[in-house]
Amino acid sequence: MDIRVPRLGEGAESGTVVSVLVKEGDKIGKDQILIELENEKAVAPIPSSHAGTVSKVYVKVGDKVSVGQSIISLTESGAGAVSGAVAMQAPESKAPQSSSVAPAEYVYESKSGFPPPASPSIRKMAQEIGLDLAKVKGSEHGGRITLEDIKAYVHSLQRTAFTAKEMPASSFKAAPAQESIDFSKWGPVSKKPFSSLRQKISQKMTESWTTIPHVTQFDEADITALMALRKKYTAKYEKKGANLTLTSFVLKAVVGALKKFQVFNASLDEKTQELVYKEYYHLGIAVDTEQGLIVPVLRDVDKKKLLDLSKELAALAEKTRQRKVSLEELKGGTFTISNLGGIGGTYFTPIINKPEVAILGVGRGVLRPVYKKEKAAPSLMLPLALSYDHRVIDGAAGARFIRAVAEALENFSEKDVKI
Amino acid sequence: MKPIQTDVVVVGAGPGGYAAAFYAADKGKKVILIEQDKRLGGVCLNRGCIPSKALLHATKLITETKESAARGIEFAAPAINLEKMRAWKESILDKLSQGISGIAGKRGVEVLNGRGYFEDSKTLRVETKEGQKFINYGAAIIAVGSKPALPAVFDLGNKRIMTSTEALELEDIPENLLIIGGGYIGMELGTVYAALGSKIVLVEALGSILAGADPDLVRPVMRYAEKAFKEVRLGAKVLKMATSGKQIKVVMETAGDKKEELYDRVLISVGRVPNCHDLGLKNTKVTVDEKGFIKINSKQQTSDTGIYAIGDVAGGILLAHKAAKEARVAVEVIAGETSLFENIVIPAVVFTDPEIAWCGLTESEAAAKGIKVEIARFSWAASGRALTHDRTDGLTKLIIEPGTERILGVGIVGAGAGELISEGVLAVEMGATAKDLAACVHPHPTLSETLMEAAEVFYGHSSHALGRKKA
Repeated sequence: MDIRVPRLGEGAESGTVVSVLVKEGDKIGKDQILIELENEKAVAPIPSSHAGTVSKVYVKVGDKVSVGQSIISLTESGAGAVSGAVAMQAPESKAPQSSSVAPAEYVYESKSGFPPPASPSIRKMAQEIGLDLAKVKGSEHGGRITLEDIKAYVHSLQRTAFTAKEMPASSFKAAPAQESIDFSKWGPVSKKPFSSLRQKISQKMTESWTTIPHVTQFDEADITALMALRKKYTAKYEKKGANLTLTSFVLKAVVGALKKFQVFNASLDEKTQELVYKEYYHLGIAVDTEQGLIVPVLRDVDKKKLLDLSKELAALAEKTRQRKVSLEELKGGTFTISNLGGIGGTYFTPIINKPEVAILGVGRGVLRPVYKKEKAAPSLMLPLALSYDHRVIDGAAGARFIRAVAEALENFSEKDVKI
Repeated sequence: MKPIQTDVVVVGAGPGGYAAAFYAADKGKKVILIEQDKRLGGVCLNRGCIPSKALLHATKLITETKESAARGIEFAAPAINLEKMRAWKESILDKLSQGISGIAGKRGVEVLNGRGYFEDSKTLRVETKEGQKFINYGAAIIAVGSKPALPAVFDLGNKRIMTSTEALELEDIPENLLIIGGGYIGMELGTVYAALGSKIVLVEALGSILAGADPDLVRPVMRYAEKAFKEVRLGAKVLKMATSGKQIKVVMETAGDKKEELYDRVLISVGRVPNCHDLGLKNTKVTVDEKGFIKINSKQQTSDTGIYAIGDVAGGILLAHKAAKEARVAVEVIAGETSLFENIVIPAVVFTDPEIAWCGLTESEAAAKGIKVEIARFSWAASGRALTHDRTDGLTKLIIEPGTERILGVGIVGAGAGELISEGVLAVEMGATAKDLAACVHPHPTLSETLMEAAEVFYGHSSHALGRKKA
C-alpha cells in the first residue's frame, strides 16, 4: 500500500520535503514520522498511518509534493490475517467512505446476487480507492458503471460534503443521534423541550465552531477617562431620553477600527473563494433574552451620532428581549459585539457569527493600579476578546485591530459625545 | 551454510509459478524459482494441457478423413508412426519449456532445479544436485500443483494401469482400453485413443459424463462418445482390478449387475490431488482443507504470514489460467498493491469432440442456487458456417439476468467452442447486456455469429432462428 501526503491544513495543498526519515527495507510502526514537510506556515512531520515494511520511498529531500501524492510504499506486516479490507490514505478516498456525507441512498441490488456490472478496470480502480460500486449508479444499459459514472459519483460526494459544510442543519440531522441516557437512575430529574431557538443557536454555534478556525486575541483598554466622560454626559443624554452605555462607545470604537481594517467587515464566499468587502457597517449586538441568545443588527453605525445610537440600541435591545424583533432586523450584520460586562467576568472566547469573520467580546472593567510613566495610577481596565476567522485574518491583523479598538476607547474624543 | 536471501521464492514452475516469478521480477523483486522437474512448465506443459492438445490435434485428422468420405474425398487407412508422433509432441514441449527458461533468464529470475521443503516459516530448503541450499525469503509462493489421483485399490504397480501422465506418453495403442472416470481428462484422452483405433469402454460412477457442465452442452459430446467409443457406462463402479497375463482383469458393477472383463490397458481419470506432501508444510503455519488443498484468503495468503499459495494446490477450479490469474493477485499483494481474487470469471473448456466451453454462471448453477435467469439459445443448425464445417451439432447460449438483461454466463458446445468462449468472458467481465452483444457486428460467415444471434434470439429478432418463447 502507498502512504500518501495527508491534507495538511487550510490552504496548504503542497509543501517541500525537508527531510526523509525512513529508507527502503525499514520496518516502521504506525505513527512513525516518515518525512518532514515545509510549507508557508511551518515544518510538519508526516507520520505513517500504518505499520509495515517500507518497500519503496518515492520522495527525496527538496521534492515539492502535494496532497494525495505517494510518499512511500508499505508492505503490511501481519497481513496474513487481513481479509479484503482496503487501506488507503489519500483524502479523496475518505470522502466516499464517510457515511455522514454520502449523498444518494442509491444501492445496487441484484436479484441474482451478483455485484454491480462494471468492467474489470473499473472494479480494480474501485478496489484501489476503497469505493463501494454498489453505491454508484451505472448509466449504461443494464446499469453498467462507466468511468464517467464514477466521476459523477465522486463529484456528487464532493458537492454534498461542501453543502454539508455550508448547512450544518442537514448534516446534523444525518448524524446519528446519541443514545439517550437515563439520568433518573441516579436521582430525580425533570425534562423540558430543547426550544427551537436553542436548536437554532446550537446549529449556528456548531457550524461556526466546526467550520471556522477560531483565534481569540485578548487585550485591555484603559477606560478610566472614557468612564469620566460618560459620567459627565449621562444626565444630558437622559434628558434626551437616551441611556449612555459602554456598549454605545464600543460600537463607535469598533466601527472606527473596521474602517481602518476592512477585512474585519468582510465575508468569505466559500463557493467562489472570494472575499466580499462590505461598504456598510451593520453591527450585531448579542442580547441575552429569557429564551436565549439573539443578535439584532444596528444599521449604518458609522453614520449615526452617539445619541441616536444610544437610543436605537436601547430600543432594539428591549424589542429583542420582548421577542418582538423582526427577522429582517436580525440579518445583514457585518461584525458582532458581545458585552457580558454587565453580568461580570473578564475574558472569554466568543464564537464568530458566521458569515461574519470576527466578533468582539467585552468583559467587566476592573479597577486596578496601572503603571504609567513609572507611577501607579488607579485605572479601570476593560477586558477585550477578539475572535477572528484565521482563514481570512492573520494574527498580526487581529492584534492591530483589537489595539485600534482599545486605543479608540482610551482616546475617545469628547466632541463625538457632545450634544 | 549461509542461506540465500531473496524477496520472493516461488515453489513450482507451472503456469502459475512461472507467471508469478516473472511478474514479481517485473515488479523489481529478486526472485528464485524452484522446480524439481528438468523441464519448466509444470503439469500443464509437460503432462497436461499442451501434450493432450497436441495429440487431439494430430488424431483429429483421422476422424476427419473418415467423415470426409461423405463429402466426396476419400482417404486410405492411415499409417500411424507412434514414435514420430511422440517425438513431434515432445518437440512442442521442449520448445515451450526452453521458451520459459529463456524468459526466466532475461528477466533475471534465478531457476533452482530441485525439490523445495519448508524448514520453517522463513526458510526453504532446496535439494539440488549440488546438495542442499537454504533460502530466506520475504515472501514464498507455493505453486506445486496437483497430480492424478490413483486410488490405492487400483494401484497394482502394473504399467498397464495408467493415469493421464502415462496415457500421454502414448506407449502403444491398446486394443481394448478401459477409462475409469468420465470427466474432461477421461473424455479428452478417450477421444485421442478412439481416433487411433482403440476400442474404448468408459465408465462413470455418476449419471452423466462431464459433471458440472450443463446437460444441454454435454449432449452432443455424449452422442459423439456413444458413436466413437465401444461403450459408455454410466452409474457404473469398478470394484476390483487384477493383473492377468498381459491384460488387466476388471470387475465392475452396473445397476447391481456384476461383470468381469479383460482390458489391455486401463486409464484412471478420477480426479486430481494436491501435491502438498513432502513440502514441509507442517513446519509452517500453513493449513490445508479436508481434501489437502492449501487454505487461502482472497489475497492468496495462507494462514502463515508471507506464504502464499496459487493454482491447483490452492484448490478451486484446477485450471492453468486460474493459476496464472492467482499469480497476478499474489504478486500484487506482495508488492503492496490492492488486489483481490474476487468476482473473476474463469472460463472452462473441455477439448472433446465437439468442444464444450462456458464461463460465468451456468444454467445448472443458477438452478441449484435458485437464481432466476433467462436463457437464450442459438442452435448451430441455423449457422451457415457450422453447415460448411459439417458440424451443426453445436449450441450457443446466454444466461441472462431478467430485467437488467445483463449476461451472467455463456455456454457453448461445438467445434472450436474453446476459441469462441473468450468473447463470452469479455461480455461477462464487462457487465455487458444481451443488447450490447446483439449490437456488435460479427463477421459472416463465422461461428462467432452464434453469440450475436443468441443475443438476438433473446429479443426475438434473430435472422436465422425463431425467438424464444416469452416466459
